[in-house]
Amino acid sequence: MTEDALLAEMRALQDNVPGITGTAVASRDGLIVRADTGGVDPDNLAAIAATWLALTQRMSREVGQGTLREAMTRSTGGYVAVYAIGASAVLVVIGDEGLDVTRLHRESTATREVIEALLSGPPVSARTA
Amino acid sequence: MSARSWGPADGPLGPLDQALRDCAAARFSGELHVIGAPGGMICLADGAVSAIETPWSPSPEVILLRSGRVTSADWEAAFTAATVARGRLSDELVTRGLVGAGELEAVLRTALADAMFAFAAGFVDTCRAEAGTPDFEMPLTPGAEADGLVAEALRRMEVLADFPGPPLHARARVTAAPRAAARRETTPDDGHDGALALIDGRRTIRDLAFARGRGLYVTTLEVARMRGNGLIAVPAADGQHPGDEDGDPQRKAAAVGPTAAGLPRRHKDRPAQPKRTGDADGRSLPAVLRLLRPRADGGPQAPRTVLTSNELGGM
Repeated sequence: MTEDALLAEMRALQDNVPGITGTAVASRDGLIVRADTGGVDPDNLAAIAATWLALTQRMSREVGQGTLREAMTRSTGGYVAVYAIGASAVLVVIGDEGLDVTRLHRESTATREVIEALLSGPPVSARTA
Repeated sequence: MSARSWGPADGPLGPLDQALRDCAAARFSGELHVIGAPGGMICLADGAVSAIETPWSPSPEVILLRSGRVTSADWEAAFTAATVARGRLSDELVTRGLVGAGELEAVLRTALADAMFAFAAGFVDTCRAEAGTPDFEMPLTPGAEADGLVAEALRRMEVLADFPGPPLHARARVTAAPRAAARRETTPDDGHDGALALIDGRRTIRDLAFARGRGLYVTTLEVARMRGNGLIAVPAADGQHPGDEDGDPQRKAAAVGPTAAGLPRRHKDRPAQPKRTGDADGRSLPAVLRLLRPRADGGPQAPRTVLTSNELGGM
């Protein structure tokens, strides 16, 4: 099932990057597609992430800095990062204070490609026919 | 010595042991980059270790904040003041009376020992030294002797090796055993309750250390004891991917290759993951996912981005 592959990919990112405590994929409209966020409310997270991504993309365009690669907050308790998945979805990554940010930059690129392929590909039945 | 590298070597610390000895002999000052799992960076001053950063081991900041020893508001105020005055955060914390000088030194030394243990518990591939004047917010001054830190890390590995059962990996996920819940209701708190409350099947041993603001070694020790008491389980294949991180030849060999379905796949030999007990959002295929796909009839490839309430009715 595609959604299981999606969740597996999100968890693979969590396995590969020390410090990730949760991940979610949402539509650009702020609707949750898949979430593995522990105690964090996925619906609220999706709504905020979609808005945040739109704002930061607008900011990048406004200052003429090209395509947004990621938007990240750093708080005393950890990090939250959002990434665009194609034109239709957003990946949210939550991390603790020890998040390996350098590794996240690298791993998230491959994860975004896989998730975009999963979201935009044909239904599983058609793909395997 | 302005710059130097050390290649792969045998031993729990790989080339790190020799690199630290060479740096101490040369009274090296600068950054010693550790490439492996976990990677990290060691700050050296006159050959002694003054700070270590690694994502597997809580920093002094995490230890002080998570434990509640220093509040977040006080920390931010001290950080701002130190930045404005171009001083050190550690000095500002002491000046403001937020932590005693002796206590802070103990925390810094504890964090250094724990970070070195994290390197020993993981995999060090290569090391690279670059001379300079590292700008750390909370260095230990004067630094700790590297020999002592290495010896302590190896001693800790031996202590853990004496526990029955397979070795515990820092990235192994921990699940509560069925008897844990009953025990919490009937047994007086023997110190495990804090850890048990955080064990949700999602957190790794390293995650538990950060969540509690305690060292990786102390947390691993506690997990080993709880496993021995039958309170928790640590699935062998779950979360243990030492080969997934930097510098591991196995990971490099397993990199990128298409799956049968044509999707890019980064980890062809990823081990089967036991089902987590955590609360992943387990909804059935949502309408959102269907709508994100391009039309199967060869229509426009751009996914739809606007959903109506009717389209979401099936969620």
